[in-house]
Amino acid sequence: MTMHKERITSLLAALDRHRIYVLLALVFAIMPFVAHGFGTVNNLTTVLKSSCLNATVAIGFTLVLICGELDLTIGATLTLGAMLTIGLQPHLGRPGSFAVAVAAGALVGLCNGLIVTKARVNSFIATLGSMTILQGILYIYSHGSSVSVTGPADFRLADFLEKPLVPLLTPRVLITVALVAFAQGVLTWTRPGRNFFLVGGNRETAWFSGINPARYVVGAFVVSGAGAAVGGALFGLSMCSATPNLGASCLMDVIAATIVGGTAMTGGKGSVLRSALAVLTFTAMFNGFNALGFPSELKILIAGLVLALVVIHEAAAARRHEKARGRRPMLMEELRRKAPPQERES
Amino acid sequence: MSERTTQFTRSLGGLFHRAGIFGAVVLILAIGALVSPKFLTAGNLLNTVDSVMLLGIVAVGVAFVTYSGHYADLSVPTTMAFSGVMAVEMLRFGFVPALLAGLATGLGIGLVNALMVGRLRVNPIIWTLAMSYLTMGVMRWLWSNQQIYPDVKGGDTGAGRLFTELYRHEVLSRIPLPMVILALFAVAGHYVLTRTAFGQQLKLVGSNPSMAAMTGVRMPRTVGLAFVLSALAASVGGILITSLSKVGAYYNGEGYDFDAVTAVVLGGVMLTGGRGSMLGVLGGVLMLGLMSNILTLLGVDTFAQRIVKGAVFLAVVGVSSLLARRMGRDDA
Amino acid sequence: MKSQIRNTVVMLAAGAMLAGVSGCGKQQSAAAGAGRADAAANLAESLKVDLSGIKSQDGQPLLLALETKTPPPRPKDPDALPETDPGHWYDMEYAGWNTAKENIPASPKDGAIGKRVIAIINGDHPYLTAYSAGMKKVAEAYRMKLRILSPNWKVDVQNQMLDEAVNEKPDLIILIALDAKVAILQVRKVNQAGIPIILSNMHPDNEAMRYAICWTGPDDWGQFRMLAKVWADKLNRKGGVAYVRHAPGGSPFFARTFGPASELTAYAPDIKTLDMQAPGFEAAKTQQVVSDWIMRFGDKLVGICAADDSAQAIGIAEACKKAGRSDIVVVAAGNSKVGMDAVKAGEIHAITYQSAEADGAVALKAGADWFNGLTVEPVRYLPKHVITQTDVDTFQPAQW
Repeated sequence: MTMHKERITSLLAALDRHRIYVLLALVFAIMPFVAHGFGTVNNLTTVLKSSCLNATVAIGFTLVLICGELDLTIGATLTLGAMLTIGLQPHLGRPGSFAVAVAAGALVGLCNGLIVTKARVNSFIATLGSMTILQGILYIYSHGSSVSVTGPADFRLADFLEKPLVPLLTPRVLITVALVAFAQGVLTWTRPGRNFFLVGGNRETAWFSGINPARYVVGAFVVSGAGAAVGGALFGLSMCSATPNLGASCLMDVIAATIVGGTAMTGGKGSVLRSALAVLTFTAMFNGFNALGFPSELKILIAGLVLALVVIHEAAAARRHEKARGRRPMLMEELRRKAPPQERES
Repeated sequence: MSERTTQFTRSLGGLFHRAGIFGAVVLILAIGALVSPKFLTAGNLLNTVDSVMLLGIVAVGVAFVTYSGHYADLSVPTTMAFSGVMAVEMLRFGFVPALLAGLATGLGIGLVNALMVGRLRVNPIIWTLAMSYLTMGVMRWLWSNQQIYPDVKGGDTGAGRLFTELYRHEVLSRIPLPMVILALFAVAGHYVLTRTAFGQQLKLVGSNPSMAAMTGVRMPRTVGLAFVLSALAASVGGILITSLSKVGAYYNGEGYDFDAVTAVVLGGVMLTGGRGSMLGVLGGVLMLGLMSNILTLLGVDTFAQRIVKGAVFLAVVGVSSLLARRMGRDDA
Repeated sequence: MKSQIRNTVVMLAAGAMLAGVSGCGKQQSAAAGAGRADAAANLAESLKVDLSGIKSQDGQPLLLALETKTPPPRPKDPDALPETDPGHWYDMEYAGWNTAKENIPASPKDGAIGKRVIAIINGDHPYLTAYSAGMKKVAEAYRMKLRILSPNWKVDVQNQMLDEAVNEKPDLIILIALDAKVAILQVRKVNQAGIPIILSNMHPDNEAMRYAICWTGPDDWGQFRMLAKVWADKLNRKGGVAYVRHAPGGSPFFARTFGPASELTAYAPDIKTLDMQAPGFEAAKTQQVVSDWIMRFGDKLVGICAADDSAQAIGIAEACKKAGRSDIVVVAAGNSKVGMDAVKAGEIHAITYQSAEADGAVALKAGADWFNGLTVEPVRYLPKHVITQTDVDTFQPAQW
């Protein structure tokens, strides 16, 4: 009997750990039956294509969260990547402009990382400041307008990036999958990759075990900047254009997806793969809602509900966990509540 | 030589630390005076305060959250919008019920935040983000993306006119009402932070949460109250911004979340919690207003203004944390 | 244990996906069963549909007589001209007038009644709520199946919605492009799928017009040139003026600043532009900018032109009132309730009349005309009008 119960508990716990797979499965299991045309190959291709931008951005963002920091610049950096790739192309050629764009993204990350580690400014504040600066630069660079390239070769490349090579998979999707897989592989199977978790989990311990935490934090920011720029650049190339408002809403969407994917704001815990899958889950869900004719306010509401339920659930689990391990941060509170009334009077 | 330099930095640091944001404000006033002879006139300075008083009211509330070591309240914009929309909707029952409804909306949102962040200890950034999604969704759904107008909702009762007059009212036919509210809020906030048990507990919670828990601070209540105060201030700001723009709409208050945090942090309230003062917050708000003022007087365009403001923000925060560390007051 | 569960879950997901793919594959073919025999009858009936009786919420007819315009010849190198020369903005202002069309599908000439139309707007805003209402009125008249999707101001989501729309293979797609240049590939994609597309509201890039049947919407440049003249007359064609700009990233950012600014170089050369700023759509921030202007320019500042007649106009009015400068002549882009109230109260001298409902209606009407085999001009402008205190009453209650 108890064996049985234990099994159920551990099953539930495992389900919880892999909740993003469950959510993804749920969306893909339910949507085809309620949303007209959801399950067609064309539509699934659309879902995959639409997940690329946020999934690429989520890679670096997750890494920064694993290190226990926060990067608010991703939206502006992805716009920078797109803007420079398209805007500089007439001067530098496509490979050149792409390289400069990614380098610029990495540079933004480097600045963020150095401000956080050397000047020891909290990353929330540091990236809030650099986000403001970056937006100003973007508007000045674009004169408040957008940029585009309209040569036949540009259109050919855009078509190539957006047309499926094999069913469902366009080159842009394949690149995104490769980037996510590579990042996840590095994090899981290499020592430096695993060190990121150590740095995020406990910086002092990391220091004592011979790791230079600052270097990893800077590295995470650089990856975040470069990753966001790559995502923006690919998006720009696939649209032959870039607009200064491109990444405006990306930040909040990526934060939500990363958290739902199971990465902790406190650091030390997270997975690039799961963040990417969470992006896919949200995209697929909203795609289904579009087919169902949901207005955007309902979509906002549902996104809020999902995020709220996930964080509440996580907080409750954390508390159970702490109790199970005998750490009771609310001990005074508990004692006070349990104390008999006469004692309180005395 | 090196000793003298250290001593110099130390005394400079001390000066900076004591003067805090007001050192920067004085510096900016001096720059302003050089830029334009009209800068240091009462009219210009009043205009500047005028344009940031709403931000100030909201920032006083957010300061409690930041002071408690919980970063920011990202639900501020939707709280502002929701309070404003609710107030306008309730104008049909009169002016006072409308104001109460607006405040009650803020209180409601604040209580939910308090429960979640205070008791369940959910991450404040994520929770308030989720909360802003939720309230935005509900608000837009209930009013089907429409904006509502005080004079229409108020009907013939005159409540609508009273409502739009609220922001424009001048106490003693001189001082704008929002400025009076801001002053009251700041004084009350200062009193609460420095003179009450709650303020002391908040300081402890902010600077050392585990110590606070051990010494018997009621964490859920203390942290929760900070979020309630933030939401209440946001709802007052929301009612006023709605009164100003004569429209109850879901987009009112957009951007006030990050603007408020910017002002609060610029004013010397540290994100690590437990450090800073209400006076500093006012200084931060004032600094933001003065920067816009000077840059516009100089003819700098809006985009370049962003760059300057961001750079000044980073510089002030970076230098103050650097100096604090040099002086050994902070190892964070 | 752990890996078992993970595998099961992944398998489940894959299975569900496959089931979905096979289950929904069939639904596609059902739609094309309208029957061609009664195409002629449908066309005859569609042509008889009379829209002239439909009114907007403000009491004006929904479909006003459209503006006709002959664009002037294009200057050789617009970019070489200064920003204050109307020619500098030629490609933006006259986008689509002379564009060579490419691969535009031929009209089926089988009548607009019963057609399936997907409209993708740019976001949610009270103006667009009224816009959608106007479009729905036309759809009802033609008994069309209209779906309106809003990407909530996100470019990537708009892309996704276009993909979704293309997958559905409707008879027509209407698009309000979020960005003039991003529109190029968006429109091209729809065009390549063989679906006719009509652009609406925001001025797209010339290249985008190549693949679209037409563009309909407010003549933002034209109406601001008109507004500028009314403004200049009130200013006795002299003095210094300043512009509160629209948000960057769209055509109004330029049209509502350089439309009037370039018009005045010829019409009132003695009017000097003092400054232009984009404080966003917030009353308090606009108020600060205008207060600073009054401080900086003093009596030299006699006129302000705003890109928005709600929050921006209120900020301007507050600043002028505080400084005791009610003499400053304010004009704005308009038609909101707040703007009309301000015109009535004398805080704004003039606003443009841009009927939101008509904006949505003309887009779909152009589509209906195309289905009916009628001529559709490459550009269809809404009628222009400038509202002042004398005729503001005829336009109330406001649409939004």
